[in-house]
Amino acid sequence: MSLSTAFNVISSSFAANAAQNAVVANNIANVNTPGYSREIANVVTNSYGGADVASITREANAALLEQVSSSTSQAAAQQAISDGLTTLAQTVDDSSSTSSTSGADQNGASPSAMLANLQSALTTYADSPSSSSAADAALSAASDLATSLNSASATVQQVRETADQNMASSVGTINSLLNQFTAANNAVVTGLQTGANVSSAEDTRDSIVTQLAQQVGVSTTVAANGSESIYTDSGVTLFQDTPRTVSFTATPTLVDGANGGAVTVGGVPITGANSPMPIQSGALAGYAAIRDTLAPEYQAQLDQIAGGLINAFGESDQSATPTLPSLPGLFTTPGETSLPSMTSTTGLAAAIEINPNVDPSQGGNPNLLRDGGISDPGNPAYTYNTTGAASYTGRIHELIGEISATQSFDPSAGLDSSASLTDYANSSVSWLQAQNQQASDSSSYQSAVATQATSALSNATGVNLDTEMTNMLNLENSYASTAKLLTTVTGMFTALLQAA
Amino acid sequence: MTTVGANFVSTNYLANSLVAPVMQAQSQLTSAMTEESTGQYADLGLQLGDQSGYELSLKEQVGQLQTLTTGNSVVSTSLSTAQSALSTIQSSAQTTLNDLAAWTPTGTSGASLQNLGQSALQSLISGANTTSGDQYVFGGINSAVAPMADYYSTPTSAAKTAVDQAFQTTFGVLPSDPAAANISASAMQSFLSGPFAALFQGASWSTDWSSASSDNTSATIAPGQTVTTSTNANQPGFQQLAQAYTMLSEFGGSALSTDAQQAVATAASSLVSQGADSMINIQAGLGSSQSAVTSANSSMSSQLTILQGQVGNLDNVNTTATAAQITALTNQVQMAYELTSRLSQLNLAQYLPVP
Repeated sequence: MSLSTAFNVISSSFAANAAQNAVVANNIANVNTPGYSREIANVVTNSYGGADVASITREANAALLEQVSSSTSQAAAQQAISDGLTTLAQTVDDSSSTSSTSGADQNGASPSAMLANLQSALTTYADSPSSSSAADAALSAASDLATSLNSASATVQQVRETADQNMASSVGTINSLLNQFTAANNAVVTGLQTGANVSSAEDTRDSIVTQLAQQVGVSTTVAANGSESIYTDSGVTLFQDTPRTVSFTATPTLVDGANGGAVTVGGVPITGANSPMPIQSGALAGYAAIRDTLAPEYQAQLDQIAGGLINAFGESDQSATPTLPSLPGLFTTPGETSLPSMTSTTGLAAAIEINPNVDPSQGGNPNLLRDGGISDPGNPAYTYNTTGAASYTGRIHELIGEISATQSFDPSAGLDSSASLTDYANSSVSWLQAQNQQASDSSSYQSAVATQATSALSNATGVNLDTEMTNMLNLENSYASTAKLLTTVTGMFTALLQAA
Repeated sequence: MTTVGANFVSTNYLANSLVAPVMQAQSQLTSAMTEESTGQYADLGLQLGDQSGYELSLKEQVGQLQTLTTGNSVVSTSLSTAQSALSTIQSSAQTTLNDLAAWTPTGTSGASLQNLGQSALQSLISGANTTSGDQYVFGGINSAVAPMADYYSTPTSAAKTAVDQAFQTTFGVLPSDPAAANISASAMQSFLSGPFAALFQGASWSTDWSSASSDNTSATIAPGQTVTTSTNANQPGFQQLAQAYTMLSEFGGSALSTDAQQAVATAASSLVSQGADSMINIQAGLGSSQSAVTSANSSMSSQLTILQGQVGNLDNVNTTATAAQITALTNQVQMAYELTSRLSQLNLAQYLPVP
C-alpha cells in the first residue's frame, strides 16, 4: 500500500463522513415530523479499502403502515356515526331529567316523555272535565308532543343534510389527495429510474395514504417500477398510475323520504343500497351510514309514532248505525281528510299538528277534546258527548286507554310491529341510545387502536434523538481521527521528501 | 450505524406518549365531576343504551302515579263535599221525622206542618245544589247545571204548577179552597199514593224537578281502578224526601180536615223515613269510594317508592366511588405532568460537554 492510497482512503472517509452527517442532520430535523421514516446511510468498503456511502435506506414498515391506515379508517367511520347519532340522541335527551318527586314533566324532551305528559294531562283532565284550565293543559301537552315530533324530524333532516355536506367535502378532499398522490408517485417512479433519493417522495406518498384513510378505507399495492396503486377497502380502484375521478352530487335539502346521491368512483357507486362494492370504513362510509341507513330508520320510527298517534286519537262515527269513515281527531296533518295507513307514514312526524278545530289559539273549541267532534265540528255524527254534560269523561278515558292500547306498527321501521304507543316510543329511544352507545364505544375502541398502531409505527420508523446524537458523536470522533490521520500521513510525506 | 432493536423508541413518540392518557383522564375527570355534583350519570343515554326505554317507562309510571295521586285529592274533596251535604240532608230528615212524631192534629196545627215541610224542602233543594269548586256534586255527569230547581220560585215553578194541577184534577178544587175540607182521609190517601206520587217519578221528575244526569261521574284513582265519584239527585232518596216535604208544605196548612191532615202527616212520615234510609245507603256507597281512594293512595305511595328506587338504581352513580375516581384521576394527571417535565430533561444534548 502506498502513501498516496492512504490519501485516497482519507478523502473517501471525509466524503462518507459528510454523507452520514447529512443523514443524521436530516433525521434530527425531522424528529418531530409525524410519519417521517428515518434514513440510514449504508457504508461499504470501496476498491482501495476506503469507505463510501453506497445507499441511503428508508426505514419503512409497510405492515404497520397498513395497520395505521386501516385502524384510522375504522376510527373515522365510527367517529362520523357517533357524531351523527349524538346529534340525533339530543331529540331524546333526558339527561336534564330528575328522579325527584316534584312535578310530572320530568322526563326531558323526547316524544316518549311528551306522550307520558299528555297521558298525565288527560288523566288530570278526566278528574275535572269541566275545567277549561285542565282542557288547556291537555291541549298544550298534545301540542308539545306534536312539536317534539316536528323538531325531532327536523333534527333528523338536519343530521342527514349535514352528513350529505360532509360527504361532499370528503369527496373533495379525496380528489385533492389523489392529485397530490399523482405528483408524489411520479416523483418516486422517476427517481427510481434515475437512481435519485426517493425517501422524501415516499414519505409524502405514505402520508397521503394515511390522510386518504381518514376519508375512505384503502388498501395499497406497489408495482415493480415502484408505482403504488390505491384501492378502496371494497376493491374499487382509486389510483393506478393516474387518479380515478370520485364524484358526488350534494343534495342540499333532504326531506323525509328523499334519498341523497351516491358517491361514484369512475362510474361505480361505492355508497348506497345500489352499490355493488360499498365501502366499509373511513369518514365517508360513516357519513353515508348516517345519511342512508341510521337517520332514515329513526325517521321512520318517528313517522310511525306520528301515524300511530293520529290513528289512536281518530274519531269514529257515533251514530247508532255508523256509516261514515273514521277521521283524524286531536292529531292531524294539514289538509288531511282520512286516517293514515301505517305502511305509508312518510312525512307524518314533520307535519303532525293538533287539530285547529280544538286549538283555542286558532279559534277552535277546547271542549271538543272532552265531547268529541274535533274532526268535523259541524257533523253531530262524530260527537261522543251527545247530551253536552259538563262532566262527561267517557271520551277522555277512551283516549287515555288508546295511548296504552296495543296497535300495529310497520315492522320495516325496525321495532316491534305490535306495541302500545308508549312502548313503541320507548323502544325507539332504546334503539337510538343503543346505537349511540355502540357507536361511541366502537369509536373509542378504534381510536385507541389507531393510536396504538401510530405509536408502533412511530417506534418502528421514527427518529430517536439520542441515537442520532450518539451517531453524531461517532462521526465527530471519526472525523477527528481522519484529520489526525491526514496530519500524520502529511508528516510522513514531509519526512520522506526531506530525506530524499 | 447503531442497530435498531425492539427497545427502539422514537423521540416523537416519547414526547407525545403522555398526551393521549392525559386527555383521556381529563375527559373522564370532567364527567366524574359532573356526576359527583348531580349524583347522576353525566350522559344518561350513553350510559344506559338500550335500557333507556326501560328507564323512561319507569319514569312514566312514576309520573302517572304522581298524576293519579294529585287527581285523587280532587276526587276526595268532591266526595267529602257530597258526604257532608248528604249528612245535612239526612239529619234534616231525621229532625222532620221527630217533629212529625210529636205533631198532633188540632184545628190550627196545619200551619206548623206547612212550615215544617217548607223549610225542609228548601234545605233539601239547597243541599242537592251543593257545589265543589264550580261543580254541582249531585248533578251526575251534568255537573254544570243546578240539579234541583227552586220549588218556590217566581214565576211559579213547573213543579208547583204540576202539583196544583194534579190536586185540581182529582178533587176539582185547589188545596187552599174551603171546599177542600170535604175531602176524606181515604180519598186523600189514594191521591197521595196515586197521581201525587207519580209527579216524583220517571219523566215527571226529570222534567219538573231535576236537571241531574242519572250517569254518575267516575274517575281513575289508580292504574286500572275506576270508582264512581258522585251520586245524583235522581236517586229515590231525593225523590222520596221531595215528595214528603212537598205534601207537607202544600197540604199541611190548607183547608183540609184534621183527618185528611193526619193522613198527609202519616204518608209524609213514612216517606221521610224511607228517604233518610236511602240517604244512608248513598253515603255508604260514597264512603266505599272514599276508602278506595285512601287505599289506592297508600298503595300508589309504596309503588312510587319502589319505582323511584328502581329509577335511582339506573340513573344514580355511587358518589363515594366517584369521589375516589376523581382523586385517582387527579393523581394520574399530576403524575403525567411530572413525567412529561422529567422526560423533556432526558436529552443527551443536556449532558454533553460544550466544546
